[in-house]
Amino acid sequence: MQALSKQLYQYPLHLIFHPFDGYWELKYERNQRNSLLIAFMILVLLVITKILHAQYSGFLINLSNPKYLNSLLEMVYVIIPVLFWCVANWSLTTLMDGEGKFSEIFMSTCFALVPLLLIHFPWIWLSLVISAQETAFYYFSNALAVAWTVYLLFVGNMTVHQYTPAKTVLTMLLTLVAMAFMAFLCLLFFSLVQQIVSFVVTIYQELVLRG
Amino acid sequence: MRRSTWKKRKSIIMGMICLLLFVQEAPYVSADGKTDAYHYSFWGDAVPSPAAYEATTIITGKKLNTTPMKEPSDMHVTANQHVFVLDSGNGRIIEMDRNFKLVRTIDSFEQEGKEDHFKNPQGLYVTEKGHLLVADSDNQRVVHLDEQGKLVKIVSEPKSDLLKEDFQFKPMRIVMDKGERIYVMAEGVFDGFMEFSADGTFSSFIGANRVQVDPVEYLWKRFATREQRSQMVMFTPTEFTNLDMDEEGFIYATSGDRGKDPVKKLNAQGTDILRREGYQTPQGDLMYTQEAGPSRLIDVDVGDSDMYSVLDSSKGRIFTYNGDGYLLHIFGGIGNRLGLFNTPVALERAGDRMLVLDKALGEITVFQTTEYGRTLHEAVRSYYNGDEDQSSVLFAQAAEMNANLEYAYAGIGKALLRQKEYADSAKYFKRSMEPKGYSKAFLLYRKELMREHFSWMMSGIFLAVAAIVTVIIVRRQKRRTTNAGIK
Repeated sequence: MQALSKQLYQYPLHLIFHPFDGYWELKYERNQRNSLLIAFMILVLLVITKILHAQYSGFLINLSNPKYLNSLLEMVYVIIPVLFWCVANWSLTTLMDGEGKFSEIFMSTCFALVPLLLIHFPWIWLSLVISAQETAFYYFSNALAVAWTVYLLFVGNMTVHQYTPAKTVLTMLLTLVAMAFMAFLCLLFFSLVQQIVSFVVTIYQELVLRG
Repeated sequence: MRRSTWKKRKSIIMGMICLLLFVQEAPYVSADGKTDAYHYSFWGDAVPSPAAYEATTIITGKKLNTTPMKEPSDMHVTANQHVFVLDSGNGRIIEMDRNFKLVRTIDSFEQEGKEDHFKNPQGLYVTEKGHLLVADSDNQRVVHLDEQGKLVKIVSEPKSDLLKEDFQFKPMRIVMDKGERIYVMAEGVFDGFMEFSADGTFSSFIGANRVQVDPVEYLWKRFATREQRSQMVMFTPTEFTNLDMDEEGFIYATSGDRGKDPVKKLNAQGTDILRREGYQTPQGDLMYTQEAGPSRLIDVDVGDSDMYSVLDSSKGRIFTYNGDGYLLHIFGGIGNRLGLFNTPVALERAGDRMLVLDKALGEITVFQTTEYGRTLHEAVRSYYNGDEDQSSVLFAQAAEMNANLEYAYAGIGKALLRQKEYADSAKYFKRSMEPKGYSKAFLLYRKELMREHFSWMMSGIFLAVAAIVTVIIVRRQKRRTTNAGIK
């Protein structure tokens, strides 16, 4: 048990600093169930970070209206993009001779988000004690976190699917396009459902009011 | 267990107290126009606010012992608070003194021995010397009269290469600066205001609005053939709706359509120098329905200390901003009771009073500042004049009367900053959503705190580092021995 708990934090840290090794281990050597557990935990922590960030981070960098803060929505903002990315990536790579399974894609994506977590979490408190000039550090480290995450995503994709670098970049760009497409389809679907529901409701009301 | 029940009970009691407070403080609605005032918060939400002005009287032609006004279109108040109203329908100018007693009416002037009249004049301006300028629209000329009503000059039919051959000069609004240059807003002119030099010759255009291009429309135009394009509407800049001049000679102008910036302050070169440091840019209403559309600003009045008010014709509201562009207060509306208008067209400030001219009803509504309005204006005034201590006291009073006035908290914060109350200052700046001020105050507060606690903080950090190093060394030693044992 102690070994597992140690592994829980050691392995993601190892992965983000040595991505090639880390992702190789993730695909071929690690216990899949443990890795999946870690991936879910990363996602949960990221959600928590996002919520805490929106509520508690310093006034200089946080200009979101506390009146409209909705933890459920914040959660959706984290989970939906990850889910979309995984689904789009999986759909594409099955067609493009990728070797990754869905669970591997999901795990590699979640592990790639660790830098976001590591950098954003301390900033919730750090941002309370900075002045306007020092917000530059915040924005810089933010950019750094994003760049790191993108790099990890790249390496993860390459390793999981056993692609060449060029093909990985292409796949990632196509994944973004596929995500946009999925978002469009989802919106279309929900708006249609809404229309149908309102149509049925209208008919029901007509009947009730006439009867 | 007991503690948890006590906690529960406490929260219930607290909740009941809160409910009681709410019941007591429920807003009461009255019909005297005092409580329907509102304000926009930092977040752009409409929040309640006490009224800054309340309507006192209505001035009509009958009250002045003269014939009723017919479609009056412009108004001007001089420094000694004499009110000049341009009664367009009757082609005359009515002058009142500060107590709204009729002084004289001017309906004609003498030109080369003959009596001449105005024909549907639209704009009026009274200079510091008391000279009258009338945009005599249907006669296509600008009439300049002296304080006695004698003709000084007539500006008509400007000649210039800048103007088209078939140009029809139809002046609508007019101002004159100290150098006797005349600025005319003319109908159908999109190039800005027409500037006339002191002798009445046209010199140039200033301050044209930029063309606003709708990207979708632009795309369509790119695809259209030449014939189709000729059928389409041209991209034209928005026309100005009104202008006013402040004491320093800057022109304040409003444009009707919600372009990027419906309010402008133009310098002599025609560049917009209006400060837009407020929570939102000066634009009238922020919240509006899709059908009603945004505010249509049709008049602007510049008061003292850089405060200016704009009049929204679609909702009949008056928005007042300070020189930095912070919204101070909103009042007025469309309706049928005192303090509401039918078709407001002109706005003028006369000391503590605000006058709004109603075109269809031919009457002037007179507003008087309330205590809240006076306090707020006085606070802005003292801040403008550099008296920060006085202004912070007044801002505190204004905030007391209107807790939603976030702008006032910055004033308090500034004063606290100077009194070296950094922590409180930062708090007030934060409440005012003023990152710059907050940062300044917070930085000083942090420095103060650091200086105070430097010794134990530094020793704490030193001890912590020492402890970590020791732990690492110890662990490494241990591992080495166990490893050695395994080997």
